[in-house]
Amino acid sequence: MASATTAPLAIDARHLVKRYRGKTAVDGIDLQVREGETFGLLGTNGAGKTTTVEMLAGLRRPTTGSVRVLGLSPFGDRTKVRQVLGVQLQQAKLHESLTARELVDLYRGFYPNPLDTDRALAMVELREKAKTRFGNLSGGQAQRLSIALALIGRPRVVILDELTTGLDPLARRRVWSTIESLAEQTVLLVSHAMDEVERLCDRVAIIDAGRIVAQGSPKRLKENSGVSTLEDAFVKLTGKSVRDDQEEG
Amino acid sequence: MTITTIQARRPASRAWLRMIQAEVKMVARTPVGVLLPLALPLLLLVMNGISLADSEAGVPGHPGLTVLDVHLVPVVLTLVVTMIAVMNFPSFLATYRKTGVLRRLAVTPASPAMVLVAQMVVSFVQVLIGLAIAFAVGVLLFDVNPPTDVPMSALVLLACAVAMYSVGMIVASISPSPNAASAFGLVAFFGMAALGGMFGHVENLPEPLAEIGSRLPFGAAVEAFQSTWLGQPVAWENWASLGITTILGIGVMTALFRWE
Repeated sequence: MASATTAPLAIDARHLVKRYRGKTAVDGIDLQVREGETFGLLGTNGAGKTTTVEMLAGLRRPTTGSVRVLGLSPFGDRTKVRQVLGVQLQQAKLHESLTARELVDLYRGFYPNPLDTDRALAMVELREKAKTRFGNLSGGQAQRLSIALALIGRPRVVILDELTTGLDPLARRRVWSTIESLAEQTVLLVSHAMDEVERLCDRVAIIDAGRIVAQGSPKRLKENSGVSTLEDAFVKLTGKSVRDDQEEG
Repeated sequence: MTITTIQARRPASRAWLRMIQAEVKMVARTPVGVLLPLALPLLLLVMNGISLADSEAGVPGHPGLTVLDVHLVPVVLTLVVTMIAVMNFPSFLATYRKTGVLRRLAVTPASPAMVLVAQMVVSFVQVLIGLAIAFAVGVLLFDVNPPTDVPMSALVLLACAVAMYSVGMIVASISPSPNAASAFGLVAFFGMAALGGMFGHVENLPEPLAEIGSRLPFGAAVEAFQSTWLGQPVAWENWASLGITTILGIGVMTALFRWE
């Protein structure tokens, strides 16, 4: 999973700012993720993670700043970027009355060189649910199907937003195994789950109030903060408790 | 940073086909949505057909044609198109937008416009099925005659459908939620249809209301269909109404429609 620090940049965001009606959601973020790296974006609800992801994926234009994915602009080179970028969005549903297989078939039609349908379903352990409608899948199964759709086009860069939110422990571990099997892709994992980020990511950026307050490997962040867990490092760096934030919703 | 050489390839025709197939499957699996647009015009046809059939009223100067042919059938055909295009179509789009289906598609090489086109294709097929059923029932139960000018009638159908889908796009563009889309669609539908002859002859309406009704796309489409049944040229005012509605719809859609 680990990648050399000399690998080319897969994601390069410079001085990203996003303002909505006078409110600043993202306030000057710089983010560089190298090819082959699994990078975590960690923050509380409302910290600016999803807005950042939306700008990286080309869904929202930054107020100021620039974004490059594999050297391409998600806005100017829209079609090219979407061919090499796989995105699993938070709170984006799929067609409820289509089956898992039909959805995979539908999405693979969008890409020039997609994975085989059976392989995609097998990758996320959903072959036995191929004929189940999306609306009848459990939360974990729906999440795994979303991951399969993010990977169906053989993307070089994958963005996964709130990967396991709302899943039970077993479902979380299954999703993690899927992500750990992505040896070739660059993965940007957006989360507020410390254990998830610590287990999966080579490097982590902690985002708070629209700014990156620290970044480095989980080990380095803990050492620099003089604490033994990533959660303690997070609390020390932001002054916030992720658990409290989750409970507040 | 390296600049990656990637050839931009838009989704192939099979992607469009799959999108249309998916829409067909979804409609087939939740057919409740199309029941009303198919059943209400039929109900109107049968109820009015029964009451008018006894009178056997002919149309002066047009032997062989009945009041049913010239007054009721055009209203029923326009109803089928309007209900599907103005009520069903924007409601589906608003639901897709609300649930994030369009947002999910926006991060793939597919344009969300593919959904729009697929929806239009599938719902236009529903329109054609609805028209075929209504006409078949009319022929079987009430000896309804086909239009005198069939090609012009087909052209009117096309213009009517384009105008009504444009109204549907206006509804979808200004509606913040699926519930709002249903409400706005219902208001637009009943407003146009009531003034356009759904509840009886427009001659029975007060003059100003009848005038407004004939300028709206529903009334204009009914009048245009009537002309094709009578074998008369379609009035330019009817074409103008349908054309202006289309231009207005495209303008509003371009300015206001949001995928999320």
